[in-house]
Amino acid sequence: MEDVQVVAMLVRRCIAGDAAAWEEIVQTYNRRIYNICYRFAGSADDAQDLTQEVFIKMYRTLPSYDHTKGAFVTWVTTITRNLLVDHFRKTKQDRMTDSMDTAASDHEDAQPLSKQIPDRSAPPDAGVRSREVSETIHAALSKISPELREAVILRDLQDMDYREIAAVLKVPEGTVKSRINRGRAELARLLQRTYRQVM
Amino acid sequence: MPDRHISDHTSNGMQCHEFDLMLSDALDGVLSGTQLDRFQAHAQSCKVCGPLLAEAEAGRSWLKGLTEVEPPANLVANILASTMGVDTQRLRATTSQRQPHVSRLEHVRASFLEPVWTMVRQPRFAMSFGMAFFALSVGLTVAGVKPSDIKAIDLRPAAIRRAYYNAHARVVRYVDNARAVYELQAALRGIKRNLAPAEPAPKPKDHKNDTTQQPEQKQERNYSQTGDQLIMARAPLGPSLRDLPVVSVTTYRRFV
Repeated sequence: MEDVQVVAMLVRRCIAGDAAAWEEIVQTYNRRIYNICYRFAGSADDAQDLTQEVFIKMYRTLPSYDHTKGAFVTWVTTITRNLLVDHFRKTKQDRMTDSMDTAASDHEDAQPLSKQIPDRSAPPDAGVRSREVSETIHAALSKISPELREAVILRDLQDMDYREIAAVLKVPEGTVKSRINRGRAELARLLQRTYRQVM
Repeated sequence: MPDRHISDHTSNGMQCHEFDLMLSDALDGVLSGTQLDRFQAHAQSCKVCGPLLAEAEAGRSWLKGLTEVEPPANLVANILASTMGVDTQRLRATTSQRQPHVSRLEHVRASFLEPVWTMVRQPRFAMSFGMAFFALSVGLTVAGVKPSDIKAIDLRPAAIRRAYYNAHARVVRYVDNARAVYELQAALRGIKRNLAPAEPAPKPKDHKNDTTQQPEQKQERNYSQTGDQLIMARAPLGPSLRDLPVVSVTTYRRFV
């Protein structure tokens, strides 16, 4: 994903006070960080503010980055994730979260979960999705618990491998995989519930 | 954190916990051989893991449909401004942010100062300005205003109020004095008239019986006489009355 030596040089120039190097870092990573923040926070305004905070923190702690300990993108994502967790705690979203862990969906246990899945002959990713569908998925994603959400975002939206995600979340790879599975399943259940209400 | 939906149930030689660990790899397509067979067998036989596989696969498909969102256009500029205080021309040009300070000065000069300067440079404006200055200086000179007086002017409110009252007092004194002078003049005129001899009677004009043709002139003449004008009447001195003292009658009646 990134040339370690190039990034290390960029970081060194940045620490030395090279404004162009810092601008290059911002240009390279702002899109990625903004998307993580947007998918996690759910709001474009919050995502913009959080992205700025991430870069401010990055700028202040850049000398602490050690390229021998991990990739720069992992370091950046870790900063982003930590800020998102802080933001989440401040906004108390966890009280409103419709998590799979807390809500056992007892009313849905009456029938096998496999029968609650939408028609497999028409997979949801087939063809061009409308804007409304994307917004529905985005809204459903913001409803799952933050632990599952961050794992799903890093894996399915940022294409990070399990080892990197484990490094960012500071949990074992097995836990990462478990969270991803549960996050995906909960998202599917929420979307199924949504479309059932619409239908 | 243990998953409450994953039990320790064993089916086809695989526990649900093991199935959960392999689920991601299975969806990524990295399972093969014996592992894949055991995984599929467990999914078909386990009432918990089978639906979980279906849900995870569906959720993964939904998420793959989400595309990247475009960051705001001014995000990079805001980040650089908030971190380094960098506010480069290039970034501002790309994000169409507010114009730099120098550009705003240029805009003010082009929109306001240039038209004014163009008008000032015209001879007509110079002539008008010169005439206005000349008229003002003449007016001030006539009014007795000197530049040294202008310098001494105190524009404080109290001083302005005091100047107003002084000017008002001067005007009142001037009017009072003028009234006294007029009254004195009127008294003197009255004394003079009383002491002066009677005027001879005016000779009758030859109107030739055509006064009706100039009624306005006649009327105007009558109205022009003031009420203060004295009209002296004197009785004719006949032979039988020569020895009587002369009696003169003064009347203020106006001719109408």
